[in-house]
Amino acid sequence: MFNNICEQLTKLIHSIPNRTKKMVKEEKEMANRPDNTAFTQQRLPAWQPMLSAGIVIPGFVLIGLAFIGIGVALFVTSRSIEVLELDYTGVESSSACFKCSEPNKVNCVCELEFSLDSLFKGPLFFYYGLTNYFQNYRKYGVSKDYDQLSGNLDNFKTPSDTCAPYKYYNNIPIVPCGSVANSMFNDTFKLYQIINGTKKQVPFDGKGIAWWTDYNIKYRNPSVTPLKDAFNGTVKPVFWPKPAYELDPTDPANNGFINQDFLVWMRRAALPHFRKLYRRITEGDYAQGLPAGNYSLEIAYNYPVLSFDGKKKVVLSNVSWMGGKNEFLGIAYLVIGSLCIVMSIVMLIVYAKFKFPEED
Amino acid sequence: MGLHYININSPGTYAMILFVDFSSAFSTIIPDILHSKLSQLTLPAPTCQWISNFLTDRRQQETFKVPGFHNLPGPEVGVQHRRTIRKKAQQRMYFLRQLRKFNLPQELFYTAIIQSVLCTSVTVWFGSATKQDRNRLQRTVRTCTFPESGNGQFNSHRNLINKTLICLFSTGLGAPPPFLCLSFCQKGFVIDGSAMSPTCKCYTMPKDSTCKQWSITGIYKRPSLLSLMAKESVESGLTWEVRANNRHYHKYKEKKSLLFFRWGRYADNLVRSYKFSPLTFLPLTLFEQFQRVANLYFLLMMVLQCVPVISSIPWYITVIPLFTVLTVRGLKDLINDMADLLLLCSSEPHSLCYVETADIDGETNLKYRQALSATHNELTSHPSEEALAAFDGVVLCEEPNNHLYTFRGQLHWRRECLLLDNEHILLRGTVLRNTEFAYGLTIYTGADTKILKNCGKLRLKTTQTEKVFNKVVIVIVLSVLLASLLLAIGSGVFSSWAMKHSEVLSALVVNGNPIYMGFLIYWSYIILLSPAMPIALYITFEVIHTVHSLFIGWDMEMYWQPADRPAQARNTSLSEELGQVGYLLSDKTGTLTQNRLLFRQCCIAGEIYEAPVYQAASPDEEALVGAARELGWVFLSRTRDFIVVSELGVIRQYQLLALLDFTSKRRRMSVLVREPEGGLKLYCKGADIVILERLQKDCPYQERTERALEACLRTLCVAVRSVPEASWGQWSKTLDQSAAMATCDRDALLEKLYDQMERELQLVGVTAIEDRLQEGVPETIDLLQQAGLKVWVLTGDKKETAVNIGYSCKLLDPETTLLEWQELREILQSPDPGVSFFKARQTELWAADKKTTGAKTAVVLTGPELTEFDQRPDWGATFMSLAEQCQSVLCCRVTPGQKADIVTLVRKHTSSITLSIGDGANDVNMIKTAHIGVGIEGVEGGQAVQNADFALSQFRFLTRLLLVHGRWSYRRISLFLCYFLFKTCGFALVHIWFGFFNGFSAQSLYETWFIALYTVFYTAWPIMLAAFFEQDVSAESSLRWPELYKIGQKQELSSPLMLSLSLLYAVYSSLVFFFIPFGVFYNTAFDFQTMAVTVAMAATFTATIEIVLVTRYWTKFNIAAVCVSLLLFFICTRITHGSRLFQRAPGDYLFIGVSDKAFIDPVVWLTALLTTWMAVLPSVTALALNVILTVHDKHKVHSASQPVELRSKLKRGVYRRRSSYALSQGAGPGHLITSGTCIRSTVPSVDEKASNICAKNIDLGLEDLSIYCRAS
Repeated sequence: MFNNICEQLTKLIHSIPNRTKKMVKEEKEMANRPDNTAFTQQRLPAWQPMLSAGIVIPGFVLIGLAFIGIGVALFVTSRSIEVLELDYTGVESSSACFKCSEPNKVNCVCELEFSLDSLFKGPLFFYYGLTNYFQNYRKYGVSKDYDQLSGNLDNFKTPSDTCAPYKYYNNIPIVPCGSVANSMFNDTFKLYQIINGTKKQVPFDGKGIAWWTDYNIKYRNPSVTPLKDAFNGTVKPVFWPKPAYELDPTDPANNGFINQDFLVWMRRAALPHFRKLYRRITEGDYAQGLPAGNYSLEIAYNYPVLSFDGKKKVVLSNVSWMGGKNEFLGIAYLVIGSLCIVMSIVMLIVYAKFKFPEED
Repeated sequence: MGLHYININSPGTYAMILFVDFSSAFSTIIPDILHSKLSQLTLPAPTCQWISNFLTDRRQQETFKVPGFHNLPGPEVGVQHRRTIRKKAQQRMYFLRQLRKFNLPQELFYTAIIQSVLCTSVTVWFGSATKQDRNRLQRTVRTCTFPESGNGQFNSHRNLINKTLICLFSTGLGAPPPFLCLSFCQKGFVIDGSAMSPTCKCYTMPKDSTCKQWSITGIYKRPSLLSLMAKESVESGLTWEVRANNRHYHKYKEKKSLLFFRWGRYADNLVRSYKFSPLTFLPLTLFEQFQRVANLYFLLMMVLQCVPVISSIPWYITVIPLFTVLTVRGLKDLINDMADLLLLCSSEPHSLCYVETADIDGETNLKYRQALSATHNELTSHPSEEALAAFDGVVLCEEPNNHLYTFRGQLHWRRECLLLDNEHILLRGTVLRNTEFAYGLTIYTGADTKILKNCGKLRLKTTQTEKVFNKVVIVIVLSVLLASLLLAIGSGVFSSWAMKHSEVLSALVVNGNPIYMGFLIYWSYIILLSPAMPIALYITFEVIHTVHSLFIGWDMEMYWQPADRPAQARNTSLSEELGQVGYLLSDKTGTLTQNRLLFRQCCIAGEIYEAPVYQAASPDEEALVGAARELGWVFLSRTRDFIVVSELGVIRQYQLLALLDFTSKRRRMSVLVREPEGGLKLYCKGADIVILERLQKDCPYQERTERALEACLRTLCVAVRSVPEASWGQWSKTLDQSAAMATCDRDALLEKLYDQMERELQLVGVTAIEDRLQEGVPETIDLLQQAGLKVWVLTGDKKETAVNIGYSCKLLDPETTLLEWQELREILQSPDPGVSFFKARQTELWAADKKTTGAKTAVVLTGPELTEFDQRPDWGATFMSLAEQCQSVLCCRVTPGQKADIVTLVRKHTSSITLSIGDGANDVNMIKTAHIGVGIEGVEGGQAVQNADFALSQFRFLTRLLLVHGRWSYRRISLFLCYFLFKTCGFALVHIWFGFFNGFSAQSLYETWFIALYTVFYTAWPIMLAAFFEQDVSAESSLRWPELYKIGQKQELSSPLMLSLSLLYAVYSSLVFFFIPFGVFYNTAFDFQTMAVTVAMAATFTATIEIVLVTRYWTKFNIAAVCVSLLLFFICTRITHGSRLFQRAPGDYLFIGVSDKAFIDPVVWLTALLTTWMAVLPSVTALALNVILTVHDKHKVHSASQPVELRSKLKRGVYRRRSSYALSQGAGPGHLITSGTCIRSTVPSVDEKASNICAKNIDLGLEDLSIYCRAS
């Protein structure tokens, strides 16, 4: 075995000098001659598109038309979407929630009344909206502990440093720690239809409002039952009235880190004016939407926004294939499409001016 | 220690001085021997006793570095150390023995041994080995001694290895003990022998060995009296001191470095093949790398990112590109280094040594080097090992420098001061030929070697484009810093607002201090905006440049088959400048002409003899000698003092008295001979102008001879003078004196002396040689002029020759009027030069040809006239403005220095790129001065090429180099720069706008992984490939329409304006990237991460569409790169947003699930599409308008251009044609003759080829003179 390998090795070693010698002899005279390949001679076959006015101008027209087409579709769709937006910040004294807007008010409830002239077609989405609220502030955004939020019990005892300044409260670890969790939106809403003076509650569907990946992968409760035990030796976030495991008293499965409202809040908004989905109205008598009539919105007013000139809103909206109402996109498409058409006309004029005299 | 007798004042009285150098006394001197020696020298006994007492029983330590074994302990550790060595040797041998036990075939076994020795080294210390140790080592040696019989194939190897091993071990066996280390490196074959005893066995290199260089690094011994000499040497500039056989002196001053500090004088004495060992590779590379600003920048960014309070993106984002860069560059730096030697003696008579310097200057002919006769005599008379070990000379020489062709130094040895010059030096990179062995003393080692000193120099040139770009980069960096500052201020303001109003955010203000917050945010924004500072571009830039250079080398059209030489880009960073050249400054001889000489005629004593056709391969002399032999004057032989010539059958013997050697400054050479009849004759040959001014007043044949000069031929004048015996005696005495003088003034003094002798000459005759134009020169010049280049010719020749060449190579048209100095001077002096110039042109034109519409003028200048420019600096600008309107400028009779001055003049007064092209050493100056230097690999040697940025074999290849490669390269580089600026800035500046909507918090709008991968994966390849392959028109079209070249000259594509426009465009696109998604997502339920993915998508699409728009030449690679980039974006995004990576490290992959949702959301796609289109709209519009507007331009170019007219316009005989002699540039071999060292070849024949170059050179030098001996 070994001998065989050795023989082969020997042969190989023998052959190397021979081969090189041969090559040297053959190519001695033109040893430095460059390789004549398409690559080295820069003659790689290539497609060289020759643009001409005949391609460019119609191209512009086509793209312009396409954009206008999309723009019209978007615009029409957007127009068909109905939106009801109610500001309940209570800045003006006439506002129903004015009484709750004072700084030190606790457990204040205000009612906002509105009426619909016609059926508000469903399925309806119920959002709450905040303005001048910087959820995209960097230090705010990083202030959470991903390991803790994915149910790692070690991080219950020692939260990550990123949670500062909401890491410990009196040296007891905060769970869930960090600014984002701490500042969770805690106004609650109930919608009633007023039928003959009596309130009929509109049922809210609070399931599946968070992202699937958030609910199933990104956020996990620790696998401890009851959930409450996992939180032993920790405190609730400073701003929170209730600990995490009691966020939803009605549904034990909707507690801890996988509480839908919590998940929605934890997904940071892109810009300082934003909406977040609160509930959907898809059930019972209201599956087709809100019928015409008078409605009353009961708001548990907890979340302070006036200090930073913020606004709180509720938004009722139905959706289309393109999601919520978005007039900007449609208009932008129309504008840019038209711009392309205008430019193609300009180009045509320029072309005519430059091209035809020469041909004459 | 040295004992010296010094003669004080009057002869006969002596003072005895004892010098003791204790620094090395401990290890090199055996006290007992010293004691007895000192007693012999009649030193008082107490002193002797004191010295021996002092020397005995001292602890000593010495460290030796040996490849393979580092830092071996010195004798102090004694036994243990020896054992280690022995163990090592035995280990190796054990391994070999094991191999043999396995019945390994013999061949393989020996191959293994060779490998083992070749790859590593074996070190033996026999210092004071015990008998046991010696026996063991001997056993080891025996193990690897080969049996006598064997397969023939490995005999040579076996011999090599046998000798090596035997030498290695047997040396030590004989006492007294030397330290000998023998190492074979892959690259070189080196003996580092340093002995503590008088003997040191040296090993001779076998013939036909593949090893390149072999050196003995000083056989160190005692130091000696030096201080006096040293002082004198400092004054003459010889400050580099090398002491033979004195390890301690050098060791002590060895160069060391730690981090940024370096100290010490001598580079490491260790001769290695590689800069790095596996252990030191990383730290050393890192250190070297971080010396580059770009990398320091990366490091800074990385450090900033590691500070948690300010890190706006994780640290690994910068590490990825940094690591790539360091790896690429680190690998590039794996080069080796070695030593320059002073030749002490060699195996050949007179210690001549034949070397090939192809690696240094590209010249393949053999050159000779010669040891000093003193060292030769001493070191070869006795067995050389002992003599070498006893050699204690001290060399004082120049500091390490990059001049490959000069060396000045002195060897102080045995109270003699011997002058050293280039002849005595063997440079690193030379290859010994026809020489069995050579011994040398190391002068410069490692990084100090001349070749390495030379390497770094060419890198200094940077291109115009790069300079503009650097400025733009500075602007960007400053803007980024400013933007960061403003954003930081915004952050401070926002923080203080938040502290008052927002409970949620106020808790996040660090330390509750808005100003401190602003300070931190400042750094965060610098990190966040750092991609906009296109520092990473420099690396890509380097890669692109390298590829362009490779293309130049690969071009078949620039490959010259007769010499088997392709074009060569020696400086890889100038390729795009080739596309912008405005001024071409060309040498004449060898560049425009072939420098292939044809002996045409000679005029002796006024009679013109037409020569039989005889064609010689190279310089003038060879042509002349050949012709002389044809005519009957045959050079027969030479001894040290005599030259024997057969003159038409009669054998005559001349005694050679002195040789006044050739230099390019003197432009002549002479010999002083004693004729057989007894008279003294000085024969002088040289350039006509030089000779003619040294003639007697009433020279008989002058007039007729001068007429002979008027033919368009290269001429050489020969003159003679009878020298009176008395004046010879006096002159020779002075000559001897000045020859022994200090090196600085010696040359000047000799020149003066020579000048004294070369006077009152009598003209003998003139020889004429024709130098033909190179192939394709007129066409090339014509094409280049069409391309808008100004072609100037700078030559050492006379005006007439230059003008003639100008006409024949189409540089000047027959109708071109010549503007000579007198006229030019008047114009320059006149108050309004422009008008005067115009007038001058008008009148001339009027007189010459009324029909000619284009005014054609060429300026003709000569060297002496040019000197007036020095006194009138204001003329420069005026002259250049005139010259710009002229067809060409011819500068004749210019010295190499003036050639460079002209280049400087052009560079100073125009913004154009200058290109100098030349082939000889006299062109080196201008080649170095110009923006681009091109060397022609001609017959005058490799110095021009050595100093050039590009090397060509033929002048005509210049068209392809400039019009094709240069133009393409310029386009590609400009395209690359603009695109790169656009893509990085557009992508990064988004954060500024986003800052206004996130409280100036340095929040990134992108996912961190996207930032890391965007530059490397998503957008790098298409632009790289475009920068490699892009062609707007084919090579053929580039040459057919040379006008296309003008784009580069005007810097249309890389002007500051263009780069600023790119920047502006980037700013625009960054606005679009942010504000369109902003408009869509404002006041909606879309979250931040979805918006991030949307913007990232738009940015990637935009970068891709932009490259699609600029690429005109779509090879399959380009198409693949674009597709792959886009695919990579989607794939990588999906991967980094996947759950698998998230579960590994939840903190690093926060975007889990975002792309799942975003990539199916119509709003995201519609937004990205809209953003992309909006972002590229200006570019698309510009392209469309360009297409529409240039339609008719292109049409015009295609229809209007006709084939270039190639008919020569030369009108022979119209102009007075004169000629002149162009001289070869090197110094002549005269000193070799005078020193009489060439007697080895006593009967050389002219037919004998290059194998014996020394003899041949001398034949050439004198045989042509012999012709005239008779004639006179």
